[in-house]
Amino acid sequence: MSVWIAIIFTGFLTFGTRFLPLSPLMPEKLPDWLQLAMKFVPVSVLSAIIIPAIFISEDTGYIVIQDNLRIVAAIVAIFVAYFSRSTAITILSGLSVIWILTFLE
Amino acid sequence: MTNKFVHKNSALNEFVSGLKDGLPLQIGVIPFGIVFGIVGLEVGLSPLQTFFMSSILFGGASQIVFTQLHATATPFAVLVATVSAVNLRHLLYGMVMSEYLRHLPLKWRLALGYLLTDEAFAVSHQRYTQRPTSDFMHYHLLGSGIMLWFCWQVSTAIGILSGPTIPESFQLGFAIPLTFIAVIIPSLSHFPAIFSAISAGLAALLFQFLPFNLWLIVAAFCGIIVGTLSSYVSKNYIKKIQERK
Repeated sequence: MSVWIAIIFTGFLTFGTRFLPLSPLMPEKLPDWLQLAMKFVPVSVLSAIIIPAIFISEDTGYIVIQDNLRIVAAIVAIFVAYFSRSTAITILSGLSVIWILTFLE
Repeated sequence: MTNKFVHKNSALNEFVSGLKDGLPLQIGVIPFGIVFGIVGLEVGLSPLQTFFMSSILFGGASQIVFTQLHATATPFAVLVATVSAVNLRHLLYGMVMSEYLRHLPLKWRLALGYLLTDEAFAVSHQRYTQRPTSDFMHYHLLGSGIMLWFCWQVSTAIGILSGPTIPESFQLGFAIPLTFIAVIIPSLSHFPAIFSAISAGLAALLFQFLPFNLWLIVAAFCGIIVGTLSSYVSKNYIKKIQERK
């Protein structure tokens, strides 16, 4: 049940952030520093999710560097994302690296 | 009579060109939706929850963040705060588009607000700025938005249906960080953004000990502060160099 509440609540807030600027409630211009800071929100939040998902072991909760296939896969994915600019190809390349390395182990 | 016909025609033209302009982007959207459908089930959401999240939330990054946080048993408040933080960029889109959309009747603004995603914004903002203006430009955003909405729902459903057939050894959960890598790499085109990404990532590792997954919000703030400050510094630096010349 609480999952449904979370979905509806976050859905409402998501709609709010999209609709608010189209409503008269919002000032037409925010301070420069705030506009600048907002540009860094997606990069910061997503990096903060990416890095632990690569380095922290799901089993132990500790940082793993040795024999961590995810690091290799992530590096490959970064290069592929840079050159292909495609979400699909990036996901596929990263997963294939994991599959191949697991298979070879 | 003729006048009315012309109006209808150009509204339809705008709508169709919105659909068409949105089409190439679906190459990225459809696999993303399929991954979301698969991952949603994998982290323990029900098929219905996964499916309706795509229409209630209707935002790829926020939905995947939601599933990631659900998987790690994050408390409600932190989950809501983080998903909202991911969505803050929409305020920017809205502010850019409001110049063109503010005058529309409420029902139009409600509908277009709902449809204003990264992709629809990118496509329709191009149309608003590059081609000759018309009174029906909002139909373009309606078209690109509906194209995206439709593909997103269908691809989510495909993911939900195909998910259970995929064995766990495929480690599809790792598709989440991979998706985010694909999302942020194109935006790392200047140093402040790179600094922001690195500091947020390091902080996320450093603050793991915080309760309630609060490391996420702390790390995000580190990234935002470092990014903002470093772009101020680099702007001043560029100014100084130009003054010297």
